[in-house]
Amino acid sequence: MISELPIETERFNLIVANAVSSVFQTMLSRHIELDTTSSHDANGAPVRHIPITESGQQLVVGNIGFVGKLTGMVYLYMTYPFAINIASEMLGMDPHEVEEDEMVNDVIGELSNMIVGHFKNQLDEHGYGCRLTIPSILRGSNFEVEPVRSASRQVYYFSTPDDQHLIFDLLMQPGD
Amino acid sequence: MKLLTVDDSKTVRIIVRKAFKGYDLNILEAANGVEGLAIAAKEMPDLILLDVTMPVMDGIEMLTKLKSNPLVKNIPVIMLTAEGGRDTVLKIAKIGVRDYMVKPFKEDVLLDKVGRILDLKLVGEEVEARRTILDKVQLLMVEDKPAIVEQVREGLKHTPWEIHHSTNTWNAVDFAQNNTVDLFLVSLNLPEDSSFELIQILRSNRKTKSVPVLAMVVKTDKNRYAKAQQMGFSGIVTKPLEMVELEARVARCMNLDMSPRYYSFEQKYMVIRFPEKPTGIDLSEISNNLSKKLSEAVDSGLSRIIIDLQNCKSLEVGIIKQVLQITQSCRDLSLEHALVGNDSIVEQGQSFEETKNWKVYQSIESAEELLQVPVS
Repeated sequence: MISELPIETERFNLIVANAVSSVFQTMLSRHIELDTTSSHDANGAPVRHIPITESGQQLVVGNIGFVGKLTGMVYLYMTYPFAINIASEMLGMDPHEVEEDEMVNDVIGELSNMIVGHFKNQLDEHGYGCRLTIPSILRGSNFEVEPVRSASRQVYYFSTPDDQHLIFDLLMQPGD
Repeated sequence: MKLLTVDDSKTVRIIVRKAFKGYDLNILEAANGVEGLAIAAKEMPDLILLDVTMPVMDGIEMLTKLKSNPLVKNIPVIMLTAEGGRDTVLKIAKIGVRDYMVKPFKEDVLLDKVGRILDLKLVGEEVEARRTILDKVQLLMVEDKPAIVEQVREGLKHTPWEIHHSTNTWNAVDFAQNNTVDLFLVSLNLPEDSSFELIQILRSNRKTKSVPVLAMVVKTDKNRYAKAQQMGFSGIVTKPLEMVELEARVARCMNLDMSPRYYSFEQKYMVIRFPEKPTGIDLSEISNNLSKKLSEAVDSGLSRIIIDLQNCKSLEVGIIKQVLQITQSCRDLSLEHALVGNDSIVEQGQSFEETKNWKVYQSIESAEELLQVPVS
């Protein structure tokens, strides 16, 4: 799918990498970088086989859709402790102050909004205008996302120097 | 100054609040456009930070409604959006925003953009001392009935307030542009209901938007009274005017410190002075300030309190209760105290169980002398 866009795959991957690293840098003053990416078709391996999801830890997943010339969904996976860590840094509070589910959900929703907003703005500049949906949050330790068959899937694996992981799972198909 | 942040994300609202923590800025919050419009009309913020994508009513719709309401259309708006695409920016620019920011944003960028619109001051920086009831303030009365103007001037002549007068709204606006006005006192019975137009003009003008506007309406005119309640007046007084009430409402609207009228600090003692005919407002001001003023006296090394009833014509129950409260507070703090009064107070004091043993001095000087005698 990405290879079908008039944006080079390398360039496209850079757009995703920049979206994540720039939001982390601006909002959290924190370095994060893209380790690797993998392509899947709709029948490919589910994301639950990704390393961080195998530990049985509770996951927090921010997801946002985009609708327009490209239509799709982005899922941002992270472990619950990493989500708490992000929330406390973003709000300037101690971790124990942000342990409420509602607070963590709100921060991860906003972080997802910023990352996917950044990604979307780059697509706009390449002529793929689209609009974002309102973010929502999934939580649990034993679930998988099953995409529609027509969508292609690209998964981006990020890590921080202190070995925290974030997965940017992109499902996409041509829109209107 | 007030800043309204309208965002469905509590995270963004917390980040905004955190960014302005050290500034003398009141942060108001709304989670969607409907709440945002209601708070904007009620609180008249100096600036709105408005998110684009929100449930219930989004930022574009709120901005459109804001710009079509004469009362709030001049409040500057900074749009805050994760979607910085060209179409979004053009769309919001057409409706009319002062600036926009694309998320993610750095705190210093937010401070910079807000600082270009508002005169941000750090907490404690150049904070003006609270004005008191003894300060000279400028009142502009907008009233076309000379008899009412005369009544107000006569009724407030004991105050240091300077009362200016204008017979119509246009002269009032003109006067306010060229002079300092601390409070507008506006009749709601001006021809063609022009006072309602005046409040909109005053609220949308940078110089007068924060100046309190007190409305005067005929007691039986329920329609205008109800309309005034929705139009952003700071308060409403009814005609026929009751001068004691008017004075209190004016002082309250301007947040004047009333305590210097009742409390004064001398070199060796503090005086609590009762007026000639204390009203409920006077007594509650004395009562409400009592603890604070006694603490101030103790803090400044004063241990003597003089309760001055010399101006009082008669010993009303309210005065007796208040004096008993003061004497009890003095005993609790081990402060020496003395009562000063006139013949009438002494005579009437004999009639009440609670007051018949009061030792009343005829002058502050005699009370002061006695207080200086060391307690054996």
